[in-house]
Amino acid sequence: MLTALAALAALGLSQPPPAPDPNAPVAPDDAETRALLEALAADQAATDAARPTPAPAVAPSLLDIALILDVAAAVFDGPPLQLGGHDPQRDGFTLQQLEMNLSGVVDPFFRFDANLVFAQFGVEVEEAYVTTLALPGNLQARAGQFLARFGRINPTHPHSWSFADQPLVIGKLFGAEGSRGLGAELSWLSPLPWYVELVASAQDPTGECCARSFFGADDPGLDSPADLMTTLALKQFFPLSPAWSLSWGLSAQLGPNASGPDARTDIFGSDLYLRWAPVDDPDGQSVSLTVEALLRARQVPRDSLVDGGGYAQLVWRIDRSYEVGARYELVTGVPADPLDPAWTDTRTRAALQATWYPSHFSRLRLQGALDQPGWRPDPILAAFLALEVLVGAHPAHAW
Amino acid sequence: MTTTLPLRPLLLALALLLVPQAALARLQVAATVTPLAALARDIGGDLVQVHALSAPTQDPHFVDPRPSLILLLNKADLLLVNGVELEAGWLPPLQRTARNPAILQGARGHFDASQHVPLRDVPTAPIDRSHGDVHPGGNPHFWSDARAAARVARALAARLAQLDPPNAATYTQRADALCKRLEAFAATQKARFAALSPDRRRVVTYHASLGYLLDALGLEQVATLEPKPGVSPSPAHVSRVVAAIRERAVRALLQEEYYPRSTTQTVARLSGARLVTLPGGPDFDRGETYEAWLTRLTNGIHDALAQ
Repeated sequence: MLTALAALAALGLSQPPPAPDPNAPVAPDDAETRALLEALAADQAATDAARPTPAPAVAPSLLDIALILDVAAAVFDGPPLQLGGHDPQRDGFTLQQLEMNLSGVVDPFFRFDANLVFAQFGVEVEEAYVTTLALPGNLQARAGQFLARFGRINPTHPHSWSFADQPLVIGKLFGAEGSRGLGAELSWLSPLPWYVELVASAQDPTGECCARSFFGADDPGLDSPADLMTTLALKQFFPLSPAWSLSWGLSAQLGPNASGPDARTDIFGSDLYLRWAPVDDPDGQSVSLTVEALLRARQVPRDSLVDGGGYAQLVWRIDRSYEVGARYELVTGVPADPLDPAWTDTRTRAALQATWYPSHFSRLRLQGALDQPGWRPDPILAAFLALEVLVGAHPAHAW
Repeated sequence: MTTTLPLRPLLLALALLLVPQAALARLQVAATVTPLAALARDIGGDLVQVHALSAPTQDPHFVDPRPSLILLLNKADLLLVNGVELEAGWLPPLQRTARNPAILQGARGHFDASQHVPLRDVPTAPIDRSHGDVHPGGNPHFWSDARAAARVARALAARLAQLDPPNAATYTQRADALCKRLEAFAATQKARFAALSPDRRRVVTYHASLGYLLDALGLEQVATLEPKPGVSPSPAHVSRVVAAIRERAVRALLQEEYYPRSTTQTVARLSGARLVTLPGGPDFDRGETYEAWLTRLTNGIHDALAQ
């Protein structure tokens, strides 16, 4: 700009010039005009050189919204005894769920996540919670309604499951929607050289989430902190090699049940997840083994009822498009269980699945199961064809 | 009789365990992909400790978010991301649970390389996923272009200088020297590939991930094996690509090592084009530099086209 001003001064433009015609053509042999243009061009070049490369436009990222639709066609050769709230429940078609996921960063201190589940006859707030982003001391807190971080599968949603239905042990011990509730959670990442995380949460033990083991539909109110449902978990991860990974967790959930004053329920669990996923396989192959076992003790008048169960599943992701898996489940029962009278004996279920992923955002899953409740004379065969599609911006899942 | 327990050494060991390791070490840098990790090591040298969150053999769109990566992010002073949603499928849950606000988006310890590069293939019309896995912000695969790397290196040196002011001059000097070498490399390679006859400067790629490199080398991309980004090749599309390779006498079929090879091997056999499997990034764990990787990459392509 200084060069241009100097050129203007040299042209004697300190005196008011005659009114210029902006549309008048510039005479190519006008030396003064050429000097002026050259000076302006030099300034422009200098300005351009000093200007940083323009950054690409960045769209504001205030709220991510995603919709996930799970529908299934099912056939059973006996009465469907499915326990999960989003399981295929009857012969014919089932709208398993339409999940709306909303997430975003609130401010430098909090993040917000919500999962609203639309069924054919209503809407439920499956989860709605805030997570801290900047607590000191490797701490992180959550507050709101959330799935308890008990074990491996309970904190996850159906669209991240490897089978079309919920494991029986989760349905029996926690309920159709898993273990969740209103409350608060504090977790701590230890400074140890391997991944060790400690989790503690306290949640309201009432509602659909807790009907199987805690207050459930009965809501006597809270008289003391001991009336809250408390979850404690230890989560560890071991990177055995670039390809092999192992996580191992221990969990406990403690709280009051509705069978009488001061009656308590304790649930203990352990989960193991072993995964082989070579980092140099262009086909994206992986094999994952999940084993989870739970044990429950319920105090009832003049007795203590103990039951439990678990599942083991092996899933082979053949390549980016195909996956197969097998799952075996075993859940025990208590004869004459006053809190769960229908479940009197051991029940086993075996399932096979094959899944096709047309893209990262859709999948078609064929699943067959052989269900053998000990209190029935005949097993129940079932087959599902489940479709899932995802639209929108869905946050990635944790490992 | 009293027994003296070795309390002092135990307490000292416990204290050392609990003190964040980053406080005892050099500037901790975590990079999502190995090209960025190598650039950071080239610039930071012994002043930084760099960790790559993925291997060069892994498709950077799909990395297992193993919890061990959370530990790296927990201790990181600086997180280098490629950006343009390349890592959207795996990085966010790691960042969220790392309990390290210093590396969250917008913080000084969060460096988005894509913000410093003129991006290609930015959609100019509304898009949806029927177009494939298109990145709305533009093509994220810029790291194999030495010119883009030079821009990133300059910006990265400035960020390192902000985080570690006493060593600012060192970062700047190293970045300046690296950028000069990268710009010279880009000019040399452009001239080297320009010396090939025009009919040898045509290639087919697997994914639309080499546009920046091909532009830098003056090569023409005749087709991609994927009909749309992230969509697996269909028989009809592959047939069209084979026909295009024959018609245009394409010499080379290029793909990074993390993409499936059965289709490209078949196409190469049917069409006569040479299949060139490219290293996805520097072999960071073995100390390979960004320049050494780029030399290996361009030599592989040149050799295939020159034969």
